[in-house]
Amino acid sequence: MEVISQNAVYFAVVLVIMALLFVWAYLTGRMQKEFSTMTWVLIPVAIAINLTIGQIVLVLKLPVYLDSIGTVLVGVICGPWAGALTGALSNIIAGIILAPDWFPWFPVAAVIGATAGVMANIGYFKTWWKVVVTGFVIAIMATIVGTPISIIIFGGISASGSSLITAFLLETGRSLLASVLTTNFISEPLDKIATSLLAFAIIDGLSTRYLSRFPRGENATVEKGQKQTELIIALVVVVLLILFGVYILPSITGG
Amino acid sequence: MAIVNLENVTYKYPLTDSPALQNINLRVDEGEFVAVVGPNGAGKSTLCYTIAGFVPHFFKGELTGTVEVAGAESSTSSLHEWVLNVGLAFQNPFNQISGAKYTVFEEIAFGLENIGVPRDEMKVRVEEAMKLTGISDLADRSPYSLSGGQQQRVALTSILVMQPKVLVLDEPTSQMDPIGTREVFGVIRTMAERGMTVVMAEHKVEWIANFADRVVALHEGRILLDGKPREVLTSDILLDKGFGISRYTSVARKAKTRGLWTRQQLPVTLEEAAEGFQDV
Amino acid sequence: MSLNRSFFVPLDSPLHRLNPLTKLTFVFAMILPAFLSLPAFAPGMAIPVLIAVFVGGVQRQYRGLLFKLILPTILFMFFMQSVFLPIGETVIFQLGRFDVTLEAMQTAFLTVSRIFVMVSSFAILLLTTHPGELMSDLTRRGLPPQFAYVIISTLQILPQMQAKAQTIISAQRSRGLDTESTFLKRVGAVVPLVGPLVFGSLVEVEERAIAIEARGFTSTRPKTSLHNVPDTNADKIIRWIFLALVILSLGGRIWLS
Ligand SMILES: Nc1ncnc2c1ncn2[C@@H]1O[C@H](COP(=O)(O)OP(=O)(O)OP(=O)(O)O)[C@@H](O)[C@H]1O
Ligand SMILES: [Mg+2]
Repeated sequence: MEVISQNAVYFAVVLVIMALLFVWAYLTGRMQKEFSTMTWVLIPVAIAINLTIGQIVLVLKLPVYLDSIGTVLVGVICGPWAGALTGALSNIIAGIILAPDWFPWFPVAAVIGATAGVMANIGYFKTWWKVVVTGFVIAIMATIVGTPISIIIFGGISASGSSLITAFLLETGRSLLASVLTTNFISEPLDKIATSLLAFAIIDGLSTRYLSRFPRGENATVEKGQKQTELIIALVVVVLLILFGVYILPSITGG
Repeated sequence: MAIVNLENVTYKYPLTDSPALQNINLRVDEGEFVAVVGPNGAGKSTLCYTIAGFVPHFFKGELTGTVEVAGAESSTSSLHEWVLNVGLAFQNPFNQISGAKYTVFEEIAFGLENIGVPRDEMKVRVEEAMKLTGISDLADRSPYSLSGGQQQRVALTSILVMQPKVLVLDEPTSQMDPIGTREVFGVIRTMAERGMTVVMAEHKVEWIANFADRVVALHEGRILLDGKPREVLTSDILLDKGFGISRYTSVARKAKTRGLWTRQQLPVTLEEAAEGFQDV
Repeated sequence: MSLNRSFFVPLDSPLHRLNPLTKLTFVFAMILPAFLSLPAFAPGMAIPVLIAVFVGGVQRQYRGLLFKLILPTILFMFFMQSVFLPIGETVIFQLGRFDVTLEAMQTAFLTVSRIFVMVSSFAILLLTTHPGELMSDLTRRGLPPQFAYVIISTLQILPQMQAKAQTIISAQRSRGLDTESTFLKRVGAVVPLVGPLVFGSLVEVEERAIAIEARGFTSTRPKTSLHNVPDTNADKIIRWIFLALVILSLGGRIWLS
């Protein structure tokens, strides 16, 4: 808890900014617009997709989590606030009924949904390379929010596999903050880019008619042109990323 | 008195070029049971959604003409007020389960909670509605544990309990097995007998012939025929436009050309066919 | 890691009779001191939590959760933290190149105690409170009804989807695809099965939205609730006591430091 008192200013600033954003979005009605009946019905399905795919991936022992595909999907087609709510609820519900160590990460999950929503709003969810950029930005945001949580709640070492990287870096004499940040920068982009591309593949498989029912369905209209090729390229990128994770990461980290 | 009144209604879904409904004029009197028939893509569901207010409020798109139910106009009303007058049930029973409730009793009460009916009245209304549709014994079951026919009866009850003035049904039995179909039509018959105004899209013509006061035949978004069930369902026009037709009608039509069917009116149901052929 | 039924155990214990909000207050009255007060509170709060398990008469179900869910997580976390936290001087033993120190083990113990208290107190809430009751009580107190919809709907959809996923996983297992073959084969075998699961569940959304709107989901009238969830004076007093305890424990912490 010393960390909290030492960085009180940091936390105060973050909380104030969030409160201001919230009030602004509420007063301008931007937030309410994201929550149509379609959104309320989609959120439970998205949470179920998060947790179910996350579980399958765990069983398959892939080097990624892929537990926020639904969150990104809601962020893109409904909006950032809806995405944030989906992410937060996803981790809170999972934390209570499935896997206790998920609970403290709910702010990270919320930021993932919100970032996906903001990126989609500025048009960065329409072609595969833009989606890769979005995935990367999501990873950076997740790192910024996740690092303090990792340090405060878990002292830098949690129950996730990437903590082994942190442990290795700490062993080489780096500081706690540097080690956790580095770990997240190594492991997050892979996961978040793959997640975003898979969400993109799902959106690509849904009809425009269906997507247009959601508050931000137009964010997801895949730019016309080589839709097929793009999808294939996107999938290839996912496979390459996963290959990178399987074969390259362990050798970098000496494990 | 017309309780439903559509005048010159033309409607285009968003992102489409050709209208799904064209120049529809339809009046339904209080207590009348109107069946809507038509081939795939004729616009039956669209017509149902229009009366139920989801076109255009939910689906957006362009609607011209006027849609009136119980004196209110759709374009100037909000959907959440509109649904108090018009109840809607449709094909897939599973998708009509709200998901917000654990038992059938709670599921049926869901709508009443939403519109703020006091608790004591709510319980009475739910119990009465369940008795009416014959599902009282399912009260404590999970809606997800039921058969398709049972789920569809729960969906119907969930709408009926809200006491709408008009009931709109979009092919409520199209995903049912024969047992489910019989269960669901049983409920609909009860409704008809109690004087409920019903508009039902349906392709099971033999059932329609037994229930409906009137049949409207839709084709490519237009009303092709509108009249007495037997006249519409046995009309020659339906034959070349790809409508589903009772096999008894087809048999009798062939038989008539060979003089084996002597009555003026072609049959729709098995009973009518049997009687008619006994004449010969 | 799978959830096949709801947690709730229908019994008639003193805990079952409490108002849901009172039990929610209990949860936070356990978690906040464990996380924010003196370190001794973290393992200390385990005592009231375990007493609550017995008051609620849910020992058997709690034991099940303990062994299947809670212990595996916290044991693993204890191991990770003891071995890998780079703190402390008092080396107890070495594991490969890592020193396991007394201080790291103390920190690890603190972390897992907190997680234990957090998960266990939530488990008690869920074991003794019907989710529908919890939600209708919170809705009555001002939680937007859409939240209640999202939570209960998730709790019902999730097990259905997991059951389908479980079938897929078992099928892969029985073909030895989860361990033996290369990961490409593993992925390749699963995608065609997961795809329909995902798309199927998304397609249902539109009709379900229509169905609940037809039943007044977006009505602007004040909502009512089928169930009357009692809230007695005893409930109110207990909530005030919990609140006072939380304030005391946090105040004590600030005062001591
Ligand atoms: N949501 C929609 N957006 C755009 N076009 C639609 C939509 N729903 C239906 N249509 C189109 O409108 C026309 C009428 O469809 P509708 O579903 O009303 O027919 P239907 O008579 O109910 O057919 P079916 O027997 O298959 O149920 C069709 O051409 C269909 O493709
Ligand atoms: Mg239809």
